[in-house]
Amino acid sequence: MLKDGIGEGSEFSGYHPWVNLTYYILAIGITMFSLSPWFLAATFVSSWLYSVLLRGRGVIKMNLIFSFWTLVIMAGINVLFTHNGATVFFYIRGNGVTLEALIYGVSAAVMLISVIIWFVSFNVIMSADKLIFIFGKAAPVLGLTMSMIFRYVPLLKDRFQEIRMGQACLGRGSGKGFIGKMRQFGKEASILVSWSLESSIESADSMEARGYGLRGRTSFHLYKFTRRDTVLLLLMIILGAIVVAGCALGKTTVWFYPVYVLGNFDLMTAVTLAAYVLLLFLPIIIDISGEVRWKRSSLEM
Amino acid sequence: METIKFGNVTFSYPLSDRKALDDISFEVEKSKFIVVCGKSGCGKTTLLKHMKKNLKPYGNFQGSVTYCGDEIEDLDDRRNAAEIGFVQQNPDNQIVTDKVWHELAFGLESLGFDNRAIKRRVAEMASYFDIQAWFRKDVSQLSGGQKQLLNLASIMAMQPKLLVLDEPTSQLDPIASGDFLQTIYKINRDLGTTIILSEHRLEEAFTMADKVMVMDQGKIVAYDTPQTIGSFMAGNSTEDRHPMFYGLPAVTKIFQEAGGKGPSPLTIREGRLWVDKVMDDAGVEPLEEGAACDKADNQPAPKVTDPAITMDNVWFRYDKKSQDVLRGLTLRVAKNQLFCILGGNGVGKSTTLKAISGMLKLQRGKVDVQGKLAMLPQNPQALFTEISVEDELMEALHYDKESDEEKVRAVLDMLALMEITHLRKAHPYDLSGGEQQRLALGKVLLLEPDVVLLDEPTKGLDPFFKITLAGILRKLTENGTTILMVSHDIEFCAEYADQCAMFFDGSVVSIGTPQEFFSGNNFYTTAANKMAREYFPDAITWEEVAKCVGDSM
Repeated sequence: MLKDGIGEGSEFSGYHPWVNLTYYILAIGITMFSLSPWFLAATFVSSWLYSVLLRGRGVIKMNLIFSFWTLVIMAGINVLFTHNGATVFFYIRGNGVTLEALIYGVSAAVMLISVIIWFVSFNVIMSADKLIFIFGKAAPVLGLTMSMIFRYVPLLKDRFQEIRMGQACLGRGSGKGFIGKMRQFGKEASILVSWSLESSIESADSMEARGYGLRGRTSFHLYKFTRRDTVLLLLMIILGAIVVAGCALGKTTVWFYPVYVLGNFDLMTAVTLAAYVLLLFLPIIIDISGEVRWKRSSLEM
Repeated sequence: METIKFGNVTFSYPLSDRKALDDISFEVEKSKFIVVCGKSGCGKTTLLKHMKKNLKPYGNFQGSVTYCGDEIEDLDDRRNAAEIGFVQQNPDNQIVTDKVWHELAFGLESLGFDNRAIKRRVAEMASYFDIQAWFRKDVSQLSGGQKQLLNLASIMAMQPKLLVLDEPTSQLDPIASGDFLQTIYKINRDLGTTIILSEHRLEEAFTMADKVMVMDQGKIVAYDTPQTIGSFMAGNSTEDRHPMFYGLPAVTKIFQEAGGKGPSPLTIREGRLWVDKVMDDAGVEPLEEGAACDKADNQPAPKVTDPAITMDNVWFRYDKKSQDVLRGLTLRVAKNQLFCILGGNGVGKSTTLKAISGMLKLQRGKVDVQGKLAMLPQNPQALFTEISVEDELMEALHYDKESDEEKVRAVLDMLALMEITHLRKAHPYDLSGGEQQRLALGKVLLLEPDVVLLDEPTKGLDPFFKITLAGILRKLTENGTTILMVSHDIEFCAEYADQCAMFFDGSVVSIGTPQEFFSGNNFYTTAANKMAREYFPDAITWEEVAKCVGDSM
């Protein structure tokens, strides 16, 4: 399961696009506004877990490299350029390097890393189809345009391959030197453009022949909003509301300067944190239980 | 009431004094299946495009075209979109969206149906056309035949009453095009949709048609049932023949050539029965089945000394995990020959050409080519860079060191050889499929290669230009060029090849002259041979069969 990841067949991915989108808006949105160490830890850990769960072990190395450098650069820059803070380690040319600046740099870096790693799993869950659906809801033309783009990218790639081959057939495959290569590439690109423009006339004809441009175009999709979508959506909204309320009450607030101050860890903080952790772990729980169910049913067979 | 009616339609394109359509009048009744045939550029496409409002070409138009009594011009846009379906030649260019299901729904989305209604119709279409298995696929993963079927299904989802198809199978291989035509036939029988189809490959279309329309130079030459059209085109003697006769299916041609009377047979089965009857009248017994095959099976592969192309035990696969495409391929092509490789889809024919041209890195084996090599890709558009036909040919000589006059002379000769002199100022993209093919071939030949590789050169060509092409190829081989072509076109290879080879599972399994090759095959042979093989197993082409049968009558 962990080797290649669950991928697009994940249980959570099977939910309605609106549910998926709500989850990511909440997860990423709240991450961007909380610098409290508890919350950062929660989002950091769950974003990592979920990306590895979906994409498999291969993604760990990429995540690590990216995380390490972001951390070093952001912490380094903040330490070197921000001299606020009461606890001074040492001075460089009369400017203090402070503990508070270091903590702020690390916190901000962890936040940024989490957001980006959230997008790793986002890319798996929010497939092109779902994005097209969501944009199509906003405006049918927008959805169609996206769909056409996704159609043309592989088509143009194939065509370019074919042109390359055609040129090689004429013995023009490998130009000599950099200029020769660039000239050859320019020629191939120009064939691609004129070919594509020419064929797009036929595409336009085919669209018009099938009534494109009539009033009242709708946008078809294959998604059904079922009961489990409603349940999960409600649960996420409730949990999200608790977390937002907690934030509004200042339970996630941290002061960095002049001295690093954490709010009291009271009951409300605990409740907010618990709701947040549960919210972030929802898809992980759903996916793992889905996998377990598969395993069990295949054992029974 | 008739579905489509043309009343004295005359049409010419702007800036052209030639009439693309010249005083055309005809009617098509409801639920009929009409096949339109004729040379490339005879006005078929122009005629068909007049049946759909938004495709109507711009130009000088006189007369009237009505759909169910209403002038096409004045049709309501919604009705035009839903009731008249139009399928074009190129499968790729008609697809607009990225997913199969989305493409199916495209027309219904335009008409403003809600999600539930679309879902139902799409489900119906997917089941009818048997595309459930690839319903959720990306369109880029489909084969050409599947793409064209998708285009058809996407139009049928709107439930049109009239379906117009402009050479829909010209870009497909024979098996896919057979399936496609069968589907159209089924639509016509099951749903009563009126079908107007233009086609080059008439073998199958003829058996389905209620009526056949033959066009020439913008005029309707004949409009009759397929059984009688043959005798009309054949005239009274060989000299009297209409040029369109050579485009008819082999069965019809043999029947007319041999001097058969009455309605002509259409299917190979009917042709066989007719031959049986003729031979029975003449008192000839059929030969023992399989005699020819046994002979072929014992035939050793011909020895070739001093070959132009040598392939020795070639193995190739595209990547480490995939299967081998070429498996120990050994092939020798003699000089100055037209060598044809036949075989089904995906057996590695095109890969072989790439291997010969040195575009692939072989895992094992050796390829050796004597002399300069050039290759014509399947899609001629992949070669075009210039804005006119003559510039296009000139471009091929760009790196040559000859003087300009010599280059111009070479270009002019090539224009004449390819019979495209009248198109020299035209833009390459404005040419028809067959003309583009000729231009591309001309461009490749200007490089003066010793060995030419052709990938499906007859794809999308009309039967007349195929004859011309055969002449060109013949001239080339006589002048010392070796030609290796890969093709699905059995009839063409049977008639014009010097050697044929059957490609299967990554290597060549049988090889011989067309005579040896096809008479040894039972299934994979020409229509003419299938029709008369019980009596004349060695007669391969329609002319040979017609002569044999005619002599017995």
